[in-house]
Amino acid sequence: MSIVHEGSGPPRPRGPIRAPQSLAGGLVLLALSALALWLTRDLDQGTLNAMGPAMLPRWLAIGVGLSGLALLAFAFIKDGDPLERWSLRGPVFVIGAILAFAVTIRGYAFGPLVIPGLGLLVSGPLAILIGGFATPEARLRDLVILSLSLTPFCMVLFGDLLNLPIPVFPQALAGLFPADWSQKAVLRACAAIMAVAGLAVFLATRGRSRKPVDVTDHSGRI
Amino acid sequence: MGDLVSNLSLGFGVALTPVNLALAFLGCLVGTLIGVLPGVGPIATIAMLLPITFGLDPVGALIMLAGIYYGAQYGGSTTAILVNIPGEATSVVTALDGHQMARQGRAGVALGIAAIGSFFAGTVATLVIAALGAPLTGLALIFGPTEYFSLMVMGLVFAVVLARGSILKAIAMILVGVLLSTVGTDLETGEERMTFGLPFLADGIDFAVLAMGIFGIAEIMRNLDHTEHRDVVRQAIGRLLPNMDDFKQAYKPVLRGTFIGSLLGILPGNGAVLGPFAAYTLEKKLAKDPQRFGRGAIEGVAGPESANNAGAQTSFIPLLTLGIPPNAVMALMVGAMTIHGIIPGPQVMTKSPTLFWGMIASMWIGNLMLLIINLPLVGMWVRLLKVPYRLMFPAILMFCCIGIYSINSLPTDVMFIGLFGLMGYMLIKFGFEPAPLLLGFVLGRLMEENLRRALIISRGDLWTFITKTIPMRMSEFWGSIFNGTLCRPATPAMGGQESPGFVCGYPLSATLLAIAAFVLILALLPSIRKGRDEVFTE
Repeated sequence: MSIVHEGSGPPRPRGPIRAPQSLAGGLVLLALSALALWLTRDLDQGTLNAMGPAMLPRWLAIGVGLSGLALLAFAFIKDGDPLERWSLRGPVFVIGAILAFAVTIRGYAFGPLVIPGLGLLVSGPLAILIGGFATPEARLRDLVILSLSLTPFCMVLFGDLLNLPIPVFPQALAGLFPADWSQKAVLRACAAIMAVAGLAVFLATRGRSRKPVDVTDHSGRI
Repeated sequence: MGDLVSNLSLGFGVALTPVNLALAFLGCLVGTLIGVLPGVGPIATIAMLLPITFGLDPVGALIMLAGIYYGAQYGGSTTAILVNIPGEATSVVTALDGHQMARQGRAGVALGIAAIGSFFAGTVATLVIAALGAPLTGLALIFGPTEYFSLMVMGLVFAVVLARGSILKAIAMILVGVLLSTVGTDLETGEERMTFGLPFLADGIDFAVLAMGIFGIAEIMRNLDHTEHRDVVRQAIGRLLPNMDDFKQAYKPVLRGTFIGSLLGILPGNGAVLGPFAAYTLEKKLAKDPQRFGRGAIEGVAGPESANNAGAQTSFIPLLTLGIPPNAVMALMVGAMTIHGIIPGPQVMTKSPTLFWGMIASMWIGNLMLLIINLPLVGMWVRLLKVPYRLMFPAILMFCCIGIYSINSLPTDVMFIGLFGLMGYMLIKFGFEPAPLLLGFVLGRLMEENLRRALIISRGDLWTFITKTIPMRMSEFWGSIFNGTLCRPATPAMGGQESPGFVCGYPLSATLLAIAAFVLILALLPSIRKGRDEVFTE
């Protein structure tokens, strides 16, 4: 990865804070330590001879807190790195994709709101489509084709060949197929349909956006 | 010696069965693939593929996972040379001279010498593991809880010293890692600690979830922040086999790199990472004309690449003999072993010799396979590099989700990789290295267990870590010097009739802690600190 160091840019404004990165890091550590101390407040520490459940976590939390304080102190004493550039788009979409996968794979209930289990058939493409938009260069067509080809591959690999206990399709879907079909047969049929659909989308839209889709542009930059 | 041969032949008997050969091949292939693809590390991949190994027998599963690990080391150097992107952290130095060689039209030679050096290093490292395995396992048997605790403290100190960047931040990360490992039910009292009352946290945080979040998801978020430059070499790759001159220049660096890498790899606390850096610095110091380095010196490829591979393999030693994983990949191996009902440690060798020696033999076979699959297939790997990241990361994301879901069939696990991904992303942004955190997490539980046991044995006396001694036979000379303090003449009850001598109490735990303290102080000295920064920034 070519890491761009934003720190080498223009000189930072002089102020009492000389290492913003250490300051932020120190604050995070202090917060973590406070959280751990608060969570273990009711637990018994015990003695060295018979350590209680809180002994180690409490002392570790104190250690984390002390490191945090030291970092804070250094932030005012020594020059250090500025904070790096943050972007919200990446984390928001990536976490959105993960959450979408998590709540749809087996179904999930948030109190009154119940999401039915939709299986890999739905949650796979969902994760790819939502996650794909984490980059500004995202193209819907490519993502659709990717999701329609990768999902059947995973369905066959994980559900059929490796027999992993992962829900593959919503149970309602099984009703659409002849009753004497086994789960595996339905799985294969679904995968085949998806793969064909993916191929169809690929062929149907090939002519229109040929130019920008050619990923191996020959400048060396992708 | 005879033992070694018979053990190795037992191992080759296991590793050469068609199924295990196929698994080793698959592992190497997948490993090379992820090593080539930037943005997917071996940690995330092994975590992703862990569920796939459920159906295999333990030997096959571990052979495949080991193949992924050293395959990734190989693949990483291919991208380092051809694209100037180190696929793995350990191939950062290879990129310096390797890519320059590629620009001069000698990409093939660079790839060739990297592969041959790695193969040689792998062969030596395999022999080192086979030779050291038995004696170290014997040593492990005299380790009590006190010594184990001190050894792990030493490992964590090494991890701090070897981490990049601020030592203070690395210490903080270790502490956070150990703190995270204490989440869940306390083993002795059964009380829940820091679980927020959530039932799925009662068993503690799953290692695979933490690793996948911090190394898989956080990596994706971080990569998305940086627009990527891929500087694929346009020149022909050229002939792959180095000629006599190249060999003459490269064979000494290969030998030195192998030695350094094997030595550092054994250290608990991720010593393998340092190998390539140390080898490169050494080659530059020894070279008659250091100016050539950074401009396509073949020594700058041969040395670090050998060190890289040797270290990757000898880092299995602490795991297989002492049961202590020295780095995150080995920690995942622990996970894989426990899934298959094997508890890593000295008893592996005696209880399941086929696993132990089969795995060691498969490492050598794997290295041979890598040599064969890598050189002719270079063209294919280069083509793979042209897959743009915007298509690759959604696929990685989905594989991560599927992999983590199928380990425990828990949707909450999937949510947690998101949470830990966010945490890892923040840590990276604040300049913290995630690797020490993971090592602290891995060793945390073992440490707490051993700390408790050691303190119970010593009735709550913390000095036990300094004063506890273990009996050892010593020669006449040392015995008479320490007679009365640490040693006393061997009595028949101690088995002293055969040879006169002394039985001495050796303060092993204190020695380990002293080494740790020494290394830490050394790293904090201003002059050494500067040197350490130089090694890592080069």
